[in-house]
Amino acid sequence: MSSETGRSSEAVLDRLSTVTGPVNRALQPLANAYNRLLGGYFGEMNGLQFVLIVGTLVGLLTAPLWGNYALIQSMVAASIWAILAMGWDIQSGYTGYISFGHSVLSGGAAYTTAMLIHNVNPELPLLVTIPVSVLAALGIGLLIALPSLRLSGPYFSLITFVAVLIFYRMMNPFSEYTGGETGLSGLEKIFDVTAPAASYYLFLLPMLAVAAALLIVARSNIGLILVAIRENESAVEAAGINATKFKIWSFVLSSIPMGIGGVLLAHRFGNVDPATFIVVDNSIEMIAMAVVGGMSSILGPLGGAFLIILLEDVVLHALGLEAELRWAILWAIVLAILVFARDGLFRKLWHGLERLGGDRR
Amino acid sequence: MLDQILSVLLLGAVVSAIYALVAIGFTMIFGVGGVLNLAHGGLIMVGAYAYVVLTSPSILGGITIPPVAGFAGAVLITALASYLLYAGLVKYIEDNIIITFLSTVMVALLLTELIHHEFGASPQGAPAVLSGSLHLEGVGTRIGYMYLLGFVLSWITIGLLWYYVTQTDEGRSILATSMSERGAQLTGVDLTSVKSRTWLIAGAFAGIAGVILGTVEPTTPAMWLNPLANAFIIVVIGGIGSIKGSVVAAYLIGYLQQFTIEFVGQGYVGIPSLIVLVAVLLLLPEGLYGREFAHE
Repeated sequence: MSSETGRSSEAVLDRLSTVTGPVNRALQPLANAYNRLLGGYFGEMNGLQFVLIVGTLVGLLTAPLWGNYALIQSMVAASIWAILAMGWDIQSGYTGYISFGHSVLSGGAAYTTAMLIHNVNPELPLLVTIPVSVLAALGIGLLIALPSLRLSGPYFSLITFVAVLIFYRMMNPFSEYTGGETGLSGLEKIFDVTAPAASYYLFLLPMLAVAAALLIVARSNIGLILVAIRENESAVEAAGINATKFKIWSFVLSSIPMGIGGVLLAHRFGNVDPATFIVVDNSIEMIAMAVVGGMSSILGPLGGAFLIILLEDVVLHALGLEAELRWAILWAIVLAILVFARDGLFRKLWHGLERLGGDRR
Repeated sequence: MLDQILSVLLLGAVVSAIYALVAIGFTMIFGVGGVLNLAHGGLIMVGAYAYVVLTSPSILGGITIPPVAGFAGAVLITALASYLLYAGLVKYIEDNIIITFLSTVMVALLLTELIHHEFGASPQGAPAVLSGSLHLEGVGTRIGYMYLLGFVLSWITIGLLWYYVTQTDEGRSILATSMSERGAQLTGVDLTSVKSRTWLIAGAFAGIAGVILGTVEPTTPAMWLNPLANAFIIVVIGGIGSIKGSVVAAYLIGYLQQFTIEFVGQGYVGIPSLIVLVAVLLLLPEGLYGREFAHE
């Protein structure tokens, strides 16, 4: 059934491309200038794709000019979640080792920040706490990766799921330092409600930087090897490449954005607690965003994060639905995408634009 | 001291029996189809809520269904829900392991939100099938009859499953499929029927566990996570796909948790079992009775 609709939609696209082809050709010089300058780092695109990317970028950067307060607030949340979803993607999406444990990495970084301020010195500047917290995420990432990467497939996923439970349960026995169920509060809030526009960039710019860095990595040889591990791990080993080493690298690459995202999340709310920072639901949300956008594409999870957050926070909220129903609808959408559009919406859009642009060469 | 040990022995046996029920259903589905059914916890919740609805007096025009009939009905509903999950969703996507288990996660979350919407977050009171409790003077502990019923039912169902899987042709075809899908197919086993039966059995087990858990603990929309997490730990320790491993590991974990509650403290429950889990993974990655995951 799906291949049938796929074929007919491709035919529609091909017919449309007679109209959109000339548009694409008109835009091509712009795209070519970009391709010559940066195409080697981020990948080449045609005119239509170039317009999509530049348009999105301009839209994100100018959001304070056209968006209202509520939208800006949602976009701050979406930026943080985009960092987390992309961080998940470089490890799980690319290697196919699906991790449910990534909320521990982001939560660990958030907790490190809070614990430094609470237990060490409340005067510590952000310049100290942020790097230490990101390093903590890296440490936790390796702590999870080293034993769990002995396993593969579903075993690996189960163990990372259990890792979340371990960290969640550690919160109570060490409640002297972690604040137990209630968590810790009193962190500096970098989202300033009186100047939402200025604070918005404190979240957007790190997100764009993470996206650019991960895109470069994903398109490098490292990214290629990670995909090869997903497709056929024994072939990678047979080619004389130590797959385990690269799987650990994928965790390292993933931990850093997870740490950044976790710290931003902590400073967004000004407090940390296990029920919003560590729970496995967080990991599942990241996975859902990556799935909706398209796993193993970096920009797909980015788009997925914005799509899910804006859908939940703005669109479904405007319909006046209760929180449970909003999430029920979102999970149903994610389920439908998993079943009917495995590759994700944004990958479909991207390839659709490629076809609409007609033959490039 | 002796009292505490006796109490650990008794409660541990009872709790482990319920864990075993959950873990067996989870492991059978994995063994036969290679499907990691993360909605298994959701099925437990379906069982518990079905029991609450069936036995509440407002349903069916004021006729009160006796708890025993409600129990049977809830188990039946859960088994059917499990079958529907297979026939309506998993059947079409089981070729891709990752897509399958991510889909079952979404089903579990969808169920949670829908139940949350329908019944609210507050715990629902489920009437006990057998009320009252056994007061053991010598040991100084109290065991609800529901726990004892769970223990007895667990062993009856495990016994029946063992008989079915080893003594009947239908059951043996399930065992054969879990050993080698291709081999079973070559000897004329109807895979669709085997998988349907497996999901029905796993659903019924989840239903029994759900009703018992729902009566001894609060029935809430969050009740699925802990049993599922315990089932994970048990199944990994026992070896994914092994029924015997699940039973052994369920008792190991059940006793370990009771021991921790009694001698270390409620707050630490779960941590020792996680340490055992990590140790097993490092020393025996396939679990106690597991075998290497057969490649296609």
